[in-house]
Amino acid sequence: MPKLTIDNLQVTVAEGTNVLEAARALDIVIPHFCYHEALGAVGACRLCAMMFVDGPVKGLQMACMIKAQDGMVVSSTDPDAMDLRRHVIEWTMINHPHDCPVCDEGGECQLQEMTVAGGHGVRRYTGKKRTFSNQNLGPFVQQEMNRCITCYRCVRTYRDYCGGSDYGVFGSRNRVFYGRVQDGSLESPFSGNIIDVCPTGVLTSKPFRYKTRLWDLQEAPSVCPHCSLGCATVPGGRYRDVQRVRAGINRETNGFFICDRGRFGYDHVNHPQRPRQARVDGQPVMIDKAVMAARQRVAEMAREHGPNSVAFLGSSRASLEANALLRDLASTTGSTQLVFEAHHGRDRAARTLVARLGEHARSQEDIRQSDLIILFGADPLAEGPMLALAIRQAVRNGGRVVVIDPRPVELPCAATHLPLAPERLPVILTAFGRGDLNAFDAREREFFASLIEQLHSARRPIMVGGADLLGDKGVDALCSAAAELSTGARSVGVMTLLAGPNSFGGGLLAGDGPGFDTLLDAVHEGRVHALVCLESDPFREAMDPARAQAALGRLQLLVSIDATPSLAARRADIFLPARANAEMAGSYINNEGRLQAFLPVIDPGLPIRETGAGNHPPREFFQETPGSAPEADWWLLAQLLERSANLAEVRKTIAENDEVLAGLLSITTETTGLRLTARGVMPLSAEKPPLHAAAVGILTLLVTTAPVGSHWLAHLSSPLAATEPQPYVCLHPDHADALGLVAGDRARLTTHSGHCQVVIRLSAQMMNGLVLTPQLWDTALEGMRPGSLLDCRLEKETKA
Amino acid sequence: MHLWRDIKGTLQPFWVTLGYLFKKPVTIQYPEEKRSPPPRYRARIVLTRNPDGSERCVACQLCSAACPVDCISMQAAEDADGRRYAAWFRLNFARCIFCGLCTEACPTMAIQTTPDYEICNRDVLKLVHEKQDLMVDGCGKDTEYNFYEHAGIGVVNERGGNADEYGPVDPKSLLP
Repeated sequence: MPKLTIDNLQVTVAEGTNVLEAARALDIVIPHFCYHEALGAVGACRLCAMMFVDGPVKGLQMACMIKAQDGMVVSSTDPDAMDLRRHVIEWTMINHPHDCPVCDEGGECQLQEMTVAGGHGVRRYTGKKRTFSNQNLGPFVQQEMNRCITCYRCVRTYRDYCGGSDYGVFGSRNRVFYGRVQDGSLESPFSGNIIDVCPTGVLTSKPFRYKTRLWDLQEAPSVCPHCSLGCATVPGGRYRDVQRVRAGINRETNGFFICDRGRFGYDHVNHPQRPRQARVDGQPVMIDKAVMAARQRVAEMAREHGPNSVAFLGSSRASLEANALLRDLASTTGSTQLVFEAHHGRDRAARTLVARLGEHARSQEDIRQSDLIILFGADPLAEGPMLALAIRQAVRNGGRVVVIDPRPVELPCAATHLPLAPERLPVILTAFGRGDLNAFDAREREFFASLIEQLHSARRPIMVGGADLLGDKGVDALCSAAAELSTGARSVGVMTLLAGPNSFGGGLLAGDGPGFDTLLDAVHEGRVHALVCLESDPFREAMDPARAQAALGRLQLLVSIDATPSLAARRADIFLPARANAEMAGSYINNEGRLQAFLPVIDPGLPIRETGAGNHPPREFFQETPGSAPEADWWLLAQLLERSANLAEVRKTIAENDEVLAGLLSITTETTGLRLTARGVMPLSAEKPPLHAAAVGILTLLVTTAPVGSHWLAHLSSPLAATEPQPYVCLHPDHADALGLVAGDRARLTTHSGHCQVVIRLSAQMMNGLVLTPQLWDTALEGMRPGSLLDCRLEKETKA
Repeated sequence: MHLWRDIKGTLQPFWVTLGYLFKKPVTIQYPEEKRSPPPRYRARIVLTRNPDGSERCVACQLCSAACPVDCISMQAAEDADGRRYAAWFRLNFARCIFCGLCTEACPTMAIQTTPDYEICNRDVLKLVHEKQDLMVDGCGKDTEYNFYEHAGIGVVNERGGNADEYGPVDPKSLLP
């Protein structure tokens, strides 16, 4: 632990810390551009000059390039150092345009801060400035190259950290240009990070362009609702409109960056069709009246038909508080019909994971530090994009990645891929865990023998699973394998990608009760008459949507609490509008069991953009904000329970009733979250398996998720709309040859639920013999449920 | 001696008053008669135009940030040519204290104070002015300045076409 003196103040820092960071620990900010904690130091911008007065290093040095050592005496206020910094910033500013009033970086411009900090106040250069032509970099990133100060941060982020290859640096001397070879959309699913790292306004957000100056933006720490990883985000809103999201910093989860789905998926909050009005029997009412009506009718139903005639459906996108209160509501009603996920497979997988994970849980930071990562049926870019970025960092640190998956899993790093049939994954995992190689054919045996060898020599191996493909059996086998492969000295980690931001929370709250399919049977048979849906859409999320719609049509009472234009919200007898994640405080438990809190950014209300129809806000004034009825999901449930609707008290009651959730009392947004150690309950093993659809063809179709288009909240976000794919199926080239199909062909896909038109994609990484298709909302592929294996037919469409 | 001072103090004001009886009165019979304040008087706020007649305001929000009473609000938008402009601009004269900080903050000379002080109204809503109420024809106090001719990011001229710029470079050139 080196101890050094900076500006006459003593500080002791960890080994390997650079002097710039050591100064920051003393709240001394040294101007800098190229240094970034996640990217490291390159000493290129020459701005962080400090005078090393005494000790092992002497003279004027770049603080980011010098590791702190014992006995160093450093001055940031030395006249020589200050003079150099002033000159460097003056050179940097020579070609910078004079357009701060129309620059979207204004308000968080590091260049402006560093110019002031560097002591450059008045422009002396009167010559001409060099200019560039800009490129169109697609729907997310806006480029204004004239502002560039050539710090190289964007290229280091895009190419080195995120593994993109279509953005780089060109030119020489003062013509250095950052961009693509030609105009075109940035291909990396992490492209938005270059907006965050750019110290000035060269790279700004296109959807956020000219919306708000940053000093007017309301921001608060939040947790991303778009997958189960629970990355830290900072959404920003103004005029009752959530307008952008930037990456938050959580060293245990996302680090410093987030994926584009999280960054540009905020717009579901402002969706024009979002229901904001409470309704009872189709009539708009005040929210208090609707809550009272719901409370009375649920009680009436329980009295009339018995408590078990009322069912409760929680959700992986509702807060932990709301899900816990839903459980209380069920027990107050006396009902045991309580499910936390409408998708049968995901529900069982989440419950199994919570029951089995234990000390094998690993965070994204553990992934970044891992030296061997084995992916079993997990497609990070689709199911949890930031995991792919964490895996890339492991590879950059010398780790290896092995992918065992029927799908062509794309990663931003090199990986060894073995395509295997999805139904074999649980069996293979069990065999792999036991080191039993008899289950494999000759080629696989060689592969797995070498994998086991690698695993035994690895120090921090992690097995990653995808809940959709593995199912409950696979997740169980994954946890068993990790336990069996662990030795006293080395524990094998597990990370499983679940469906939603609070899937783990749902799994923790669920008992060993039956899943939603069994509940649907009860509805169908007339044993359940009422359903309370918490931010869930059973009409579309159940394993068999057609069957769900038929059964749910028989309900006498449907209460829906939702913040999105879901089918359940539209069909509900009583609808209670909920707040979106950015509009409320609450907490989620991510896929490793980390309990994380988030805070509200804005209050709900119709955006001024809408009330003014693009022009100025209306010239009448009302006491109430239009569209401000939505309340936090836990508020609504506390009201249904006739409890105090104060978050602190709600959390206190939940923590008192269930010691597993005692962490709710202490969580804040300032920490990296709280890893829960409690285990859940395994789902019943004897439950009826989901119905297998009637055979309609000879091909096997695997339904999976796409990076964009399969996630409900992201699908409702307009900035992401341009990146949603058209319905497609993916095949192995040999398989396509046998079927007489080539890439780009239009074909007709027939399953038990009907026909749809798809485009053929080919991938040599695919398992031969399998047809792969993503579930895509609001397309013909909407009814497919991720993780299901169906029989299908595929016929080439002849052009009419 | 006090007596003499008191007598003088009593009579002198009468003398002054008497003197003013024969001078021209300074009282103006407002509203029948009106004064013209000096040109830099800070009263009604207007949005001026560039010398070429286009809107000056780029909706940079610096005026609203500088405003100590928060009477200015607006929304920026982008034109087809990339120009930033105010989709709407609202100034609440019922709140305005005519401090002139907005005009000092304005980087484009768009928002300016004028000597027109007759703003009063019985209806508060009529004091809430929208963009069309604030826009005037003309440049106001600065007849030369056009922000985008100096900003250095194109829009009014071709990129690199302003007086203090070189034309766009070819980044693919490897010439020294």
